[in-house]
Amino acid sequence: MPAGPASLVDLLRESARRHPGREALRHRGVATTYESLWQTVLSASRALRRDGIAPGERVALLIDNSLEYVAAYYAVLHMGGIVVGLNTAMRGAEIARRIAHCNAAALIASPDHAELATVVAEGSDLRCIVAVAATTARAAPAGAVAWGDWLGNGDVSDACAATDPAAPAAIMYTSGTTGDPRGVTLSHRNLVANTQSILQYLELTEADRIVNVLPFYYSFGNSVLHTHLAAGGSIVIENSLTYPHLVVQAMATERATGFSGVPSTYALLLQRVKLADYDLSSLRYITQAGGAMAPALAQRLRAALPAARLFVMYGQTEATARISYLPPERLDDKPGSVGIGIPGVTVEVQDADGRPVPTGTEGEVCARGDNVMLGYWENPAATAKVLRGGWLHTGDLGRLDADGYLTLIGRSSEMIKTGAHRVSPLEIEEVLLALDGVAECAAIGIADEILGEVIKAYVVPRAGATLDSRAVQAHCRARLAVYKVPKDVAFVASLPRTASGKIKRFMLKEAG
Amino acid sequence: MSAGEQVRQYILENFLFSTDTSLLGMDDSFLARGLIDSTGMLEVLLFLEETFGIKVDDNEMIPDNLDSVNRIAAFIARKKA
Repeated sequence: MPAGPASLVDLLRESARRHPGREALRHRGVATTYESLWQTVLSASRALRRDGIAPGERVALLIDNSLEYVAAYYAVLHMGGIVVGLNTAMRGAEIARRIAHCNAAALIASPDHAELATVVAEGSDLRCIVAVAATTARAAPAGAVAWGDWLGNGDVSDACAATDPAAPAAIMYTSGTTGDPRGVTLSHRNLVANTQSILQYLELTEADRIVNVLPFYYSFGNSVLHTHLAAGGSIVIENSLTYPHLVVQAMATERATGFSGVPSTYALLLQRVKLADYDLSSLRYITQAGGAMAPALAQRLRAALPAARLFVMYGQTEATARISYLPPERLDDKPGSVGIGIPGVTVEVQDADGRPVPTGTEGEVCARGDNVMLGYWENPAATAKVLRGGWLHTGDLGRLDADGYLTLIGRSSEMIKTGAHRVSPLEIEEVLLALDGVAECAAIGIADEILGEVIKAYVVPRAGATLDSRAVQAHCRARLAVYKVPKDVAFVASLPRTASGKIKRFMLKEAG
Repeated sequence: MSAGEQVRQYILENFLFSTDTSLLGMDDSFLARGLIDSTGMLEVLLFLEETFGIKVDDNEMIPDNLDSVNRIAAFIARKKA
């Protein structure tokens, strides 16, 4: 039996061999074939090695979805490095903290990021800085090499050291506190296993073509990217939902066969776009993950796109992306369920002692399979909390029915889920406490029709301090990504607390 | 106050939480500056519809009409003409 793929690079190489002339990516009207993508990957891999980047070193990417992001990602894997896709919505200081945390040796970035200069100035250990072409007039930071020059000319070679499937391949940062970054570390095996499982249940082929709005630096978008390249399909990159009808128009003109979104993506499309006005007859499936979608919204979506099969899915970054999916034919008899474990993944609901609970009983959702991360980068304490007894403990609460279908009940963690983002309330509270005049504070998620949740801050001012909500929001905006800024700020005399002093967040949530 | 100034004030107060006009140029692209995301744009539309009494159709939701203060001001002027 031939050996399976050791890394995502093997899957891309195979797609490039089978369909060199097929379109892999389309962005701003420019098509990139598999052959061209593969050559760019090899050029970037050569450039990284030429610049002295060694296997095992971290290479950070700060680029919105684009050919450059994809080529750089695969190039890092090709030369044995560890790729770190950073959230481009973050402020400079947030990004610099993550680059320092993983001690990145190289940064490939777009000058479109308004604070790239800050990032570069603080990243003194960066030995190689590459600037891709900007879409704005912003100049590249001093010391950066332009992408085209960096790639160089001449023949490239595919020769590289053999990949150890168990070695770290990627770090994806999830929300933690500022002093406790959570770098989910995935092996080559994790990425390959999750990609192949998803390919299997979505039945993706080279005929598939997706219009993608999900950022590749999040696990959901990351999985869309790798599955389509492995299938030999194509990805049409649309980087913004700000103009939703333009996205739907692209789905129609590009004859998209698939579309993926979080609940807020669909809420927005249904609210702003008359889907019936567009020819979406090529759409054979849609997928939803990133938080529970209200059954009413799922119904409206199915009614608006009756020919497309809706896959409701569940996962988390710590499981590479995907843990379970609901086969579309079970939507009606398993309403509200997130389905069964994807191929190769076992789902179990456990009690506080790590024992499986009886059918129908609530407990913590746990998962086991080749998709479960190696751990959090250089954070053994945080890793030990979630990887226990051979299982990934997701922090989500749920129950399994007699057929093994999982229904989520809530989260045991206090993460706020707003749009496609997971936000730690502790991170916001740390920033709030740094504002002069704030004595105590709490950040919670409150229900929102489109985003699922939005952030509300409760602030107890110091005696004599005069604070207004705009000053609080401006303070946060200067330090945090825009989606982390509280939409609402309430000033209160005290916060409800338990006897041990812990904030009773549920009471604040009930107050709204 | 002109429509453009009203729009700039609204964007400043609601997305930059400031009244400092030096923070937002009249031609600054909201997309390029990462100022307004998809739900923020819904809030902007609501503001335009309520403040200026215009109705923004789906096919008018394009960057040419909405991606800077000056573009919005010109769009309002065309709608009201």
